[in-house]
Amino acid sequence: MFDFSVITSNAGLLWDGLLMTLYFTVITIAAGLVIGLVIGLIQLSTFRPLVLIGQIYVEFFRNIPLLVALLWIYYAFPIFANLNITKFWAGFIGLSCYVGSFYAEILRAGVQSIDPGQTDAATAIGMSYSQRMRRIILPQAFRKMIPPLAGQSIIQMKNTTLLSMITVPDLLYQASYISSFTYRPMEIYTAVGVIFLILLVPLTMLSRRLEKVGGKI
Amino acid sequence: MTAETPLAKVPVEAANDSRANVLELDRICLAFGDKQVLKGVDLDVKEGEVVVLIGASGSGKTSLLRCINLLNTPNSGSINIDGEFIFNVDAEGSRRPAISQSEVNRIRSKTGMVFQQFNLFPHKTAIQNVMEGPVIVRGESKAEARKEALRLLELMGLGEHGEKYPRQLSGGQQQRVAIARAMAMHPKVMLFDEPTSALDPELVGEVMNAMVDLAKSGMTMVIVTHELGFAFEVADRVVFLDQGTVAEQGAPEEVLLHPKHPRLKSFVGRFHESADLLRPFLEARIQEEATEA
Ligand SMILES: Nc1ncnc2c1ncn2[C@@H]1O[C@H](COP(=O)(O)OP(=O)(O)O)[C@@H](O)[C@H]1O
Ligand SMILES: [Mg+2]
Repeated sequence: MFDFSVITSNAGLLWDGLLMTLYFTVITIAAGLVIGLVIGLIQLSTFRPLVLIGQIYVEFFRNIPLLVALLWIYYAFPIFANLNITKFWAGFIGLSCYVGSFYAEILRAGVQSIDPGQTDAATAIGMSYSQRMRRIILPQAFRKMIPPLAGQSIIQMKNTTLLSMITVPDLLYQASYISSFTYRPMEIYTAVGVIFLILLVPLTMLSRRLEKVGGKI
Repeated sequence: MTAETPLAKVPVEAANDSRANVLELDRICLAFGDKQVLKGVDLDVKEGEVVVLIGASGSGKTSLLRCINLLNTPNSGSINIDGEFIFNVDAEGSRRPAISQSEVNRIRSKTGMVFQQFNLFPHKTAIQNVMEGPVIVRGESKAEARKEALRLLELMGLGEHGEKYPRQLSGGQQQRVAIARAMAMHPKVMLFDEPTSALDPELVGEVMNAMVDLAKSGMTMVIVTHELGFAFEVADRVVFLDQGTVAEQGAPEEVLLHPKHPRLKSFVGRFHESADLLRPFLEARIQEEATEA
């Protein structure tokens, strides 16, 4: 009943899809970390207008469904802005901005969880804002941030499957393509599920471990 | 215990002595929202002077201390540290002249602060805590800073603990590391905010001894403490803060034994109790003095 040959004979397509999924996971996490750092620090500044900009950004991307954001950037934004945007750029921008807003929140919460006495002590020995951040606050905050960052990054990998909706040939897109001509959705989608489980279960277990380590500093 | 207790202490200089002021606070006002916490505090501290700040909880002692290095920014008044204004705003709110943030950082590093909760950097070892200011703020070489940090830690009786992290040290040890960290910037004045009130009673003495040594070495100090016995023995001047103003000040014998202000009278009612509690510590010092002599 379960016909493995459907999978083996289309392994090349699945492999291409998997590489695309991994590629988007890595580049959108990298870009998201940069965005998260910038937006997070903006939110932590004492300059009200900047704080507001950061808050608007975060609330915007945290409250719009990712799929809607992707479809809007790919189909609607080009019409508003009167320019062409490839599906790769649309996917990259959408996913990066989205995960960036979550990273920003993790950074903000991480920094604000540090005892204000640390800032007092660093300030009292004459450190500037950037010295305090770089040397005292961020190193402590990062340790607390590792578990939530790992968790959000795992979610990000799963979220890349939404790319298939704007026809980026990721793993899920290739699966639906294969099933469209083999008429074997059961084998194909099972395979996709298993691939995600194989990739993510170990990562989830690692992040659990990190949570334990991060808890005791 | 009376004024004749045979303890060596930093001599009380005559009021008209010629030492320069290391610290000049002038009409410091500070409000949190609608709440006026400091209502025009004046305080001058001379070089080498040890000033103990006392007052009921909530009277503004911490706030005043934090104004000195601008951890709290006053609403008005002026603060001069070692001849330089770190803050100067008149009652109308006009700044004269503007002081840049980097100037503030530089001038504030001429003060060293010791906090009630130690506030050591938990991700750095004791010696790294002490080296942080000299290396990062003053740009000293690591080798140089390490040598000085070791000297300071040894002075605090912590020579063997340099490589330990704060969580591996007792409260008293942590607080002594914090004193060394502040001293590493070679401050003109040391500020202490209830440095022993977060400590277990048996650890109070070791921190106080370190502070006594510091005072004897001629360090200028402003100390908030409830240990009136300590104030009596070490202070050149005791300042009683009440409801955001200096209500009374003078030599410790005067302020602690012959208080005039009614609230100060009830405040020092606890003095004799406190002195009793400190007797073991004081006796240990008397013995020490005797063996030294
Ligand atoms: N950051 C703050 N925000 C609001 N009120 C404060 C703050 N810090 C201190 N206060 C208030 O200022 C008053 C003086 O506090 P503090 O200087 O800590 O007194 P003390 O150190 O003498 O106990 C208290 O009533 C306190 O509640
Ligand atoms: Mg206080």
